[in-house]
Amino acid sequence: MTTLLRLELLKLLRSRSFYLSFAALSGFVLLMLWGFYSYAQRKTSGLAGEQFKYTYESKSYFNGLTFTLYSLVFAFSLLIPIFVAMTAGGQIAGERRAGTLRMICVRPVSRVSLVLSKFVIVAIHTYLLMAFFIALNLLVGLLFVGWGDLQLYPGALNLVDEPGRILRDDALWRFFYASFSGTWALLVVAAIAMLLSVLFENPVTAVASTLAIYLMLYIVGRIEFFVTLRPFFFTTDMDFWRDVLKPEIPWPSFYHYATTCGAYIFGLLLLAVVVFERKDITS
Amino acid sequence: MLFKLLLGAGFVFMLAVAFLLGPSRQRSLLGARSQEGPHLKLMSWNIGYGDLESDTRARSADLPAVAEIILSNDPDAVALQELTGADQLKLLLAHLKNRYRGSVSSFGRADRVAAVLVKDRRAHFDDVVTGERFAAAATFHPNKDLPEIVLVSAHADAFSASRRRTFAADVVDWTRGRPKGEIAFIAGDFNFEVSIRNKTNLFTDEAKHDSEAYAYLLKYFRDLGRDAGETSINDRRIDYVFGPAETVTLRRAEVLRGTAIGRMDHWPLLVEIVL
Repeated sequence: MTTLLRLELLKLLRSRSFYLSFAALSGFVLLMLWGFYSYAQRKTSGLAGEQFKYTYESKSYFNGLTFTLYSLVFAFSLLIPIFVAMTAGGQIAGERRAGTLRMICVRPVSRVSLVLSKFVIVAIHTYLLMAFFIALNLLVGLLFVGWGDLQLYPGALNLVDEPGRILRDDALWRFFYASFSGTWALLVVAAIAMLLSVLFENPVTAVASTLAIYLMLYIVGRIEFFVTLRPFFFTTDMDFWRDVLKPEIPWPSFYHYATTCGAYIFGLLLLAVVVFERKDITS
Repeated sequence: MLFKLLLGAGFVFMLAVAFLLGPSRQRSLLGARSQEGPHLKLMSWNIGYGDLESDTRARSADLPAVAEIILSNDPDAVALQELTGADQLKLLLAHLKNRYRGSVSSFGRADRVAAVLVKDRRAHFDDVVTGERFAAAATFHPNKDLPEIVLVSAHADAFSASRRRTFAADVVDWTRGRPKGEIAFIAGDFNFEVSIRNKTNLFTDEAKHDSEAYAYLLKYFRDLGRDAGETSINDRRIDYVFGPAETVTLRRAEVLRGTAIGRMDHWPLLVEIVL
């Protein structure tokens, strides 16, 4: 298993998509900085102050922690899952496409170990993406926006239902927790992609199908027509990761959704393993 | 085989824990414990109709039923919204067997008014000017040993969050400008979209305006009906009773579901506090 993990890790480090994911996230942070900076300038100076007498958008509101929070929430929903699906979707189907799967499977390693070692590598990649993204945002936020407490208000981001504040040091710890909770939530997407990677011959089909399922449920879950269906979508359960960024973490709810995501991860992986073990590899 | 067993065990364990732990935490009402002291009961109700009607203002034909609900709940003061004018209020007061006195706000540029009703015969009423919109206010003594109470009945714009924000700020400022010693409440339909269940938009100017307006209200007041749930038939909590943050204890906050008459799209919000 250790050898398998080492080999898979080497493959990941040598793939261009691995570095592309970090480059794309860096580009997103730059775009966020541009948008956030210009928005903050517009909202805290000039006519903005005259238009409305009262605002929480004071200069102290726009700080590096607020910047990181906004950036993370936006990217988590639509950007990071793409890279997770790309990595996971290409694991088995990619080997098949490259003609190396048959050769790997004739070696004296169990197919279960192969799938699991590939999934562990996907999990490592996912964590690295989350940790890198949070760290980069905090660094850029510190350098270009400045430090302060994390202020939260109802409405924007739909995170809290009453105004709240997390002190700076505590907020940094919360972002650290978010790197783990976010990774756990994203592993649901990774497990779906892994299963589809086993089922399909082509990695593009596996990745596209994963993204289609994710985006369909994500979008449908945000349309009021489907409000009664929303609790049954895994995308709804995945939202638990943000609970660590609330002033008071709702632990029972957090554990409930985290374990629901866990059930998805283990269930889908088990299914992937069972299917892969019975699969006739002809290419 | 071992890995498969581990995956299976993990799946069952996760499922079991998810079932055992509830998805949400029940919040208890702030200071909900029974307390001695004089009680004050306030009601807020938008008695207008839903958007599908050609005229969404309150119907005079509904007033006997509205009066019955008010009388059966016996609030000390009521904030009503979307009345057609003073004549409709007069009719309602008659249906209330003249147990209440009331006043309506000016029309401004709107075709409907807010009204405030109180039991106290010596109450006096104010028209709260907030730019192009108006709110109605009553100052009264629920009990001669108690300080004066001010209740503002407000109805914010349904279509523009920036107008809601300006309106909310003006109403708060008017209330804060009242003499010290008075206890102020703001009740009404603010049309805020600040619920955490509404995740349709990650970030919009509309959401931000509502967020700021609500935050400004909470800077000086407490949202007394926060745990009472949705107040309109389309699952939105848009009717509020805001009260002092510290000087009162909340005893009960309830949305009287099922009491909407005709095609009304709001339910009354009833709040009972200990002064």
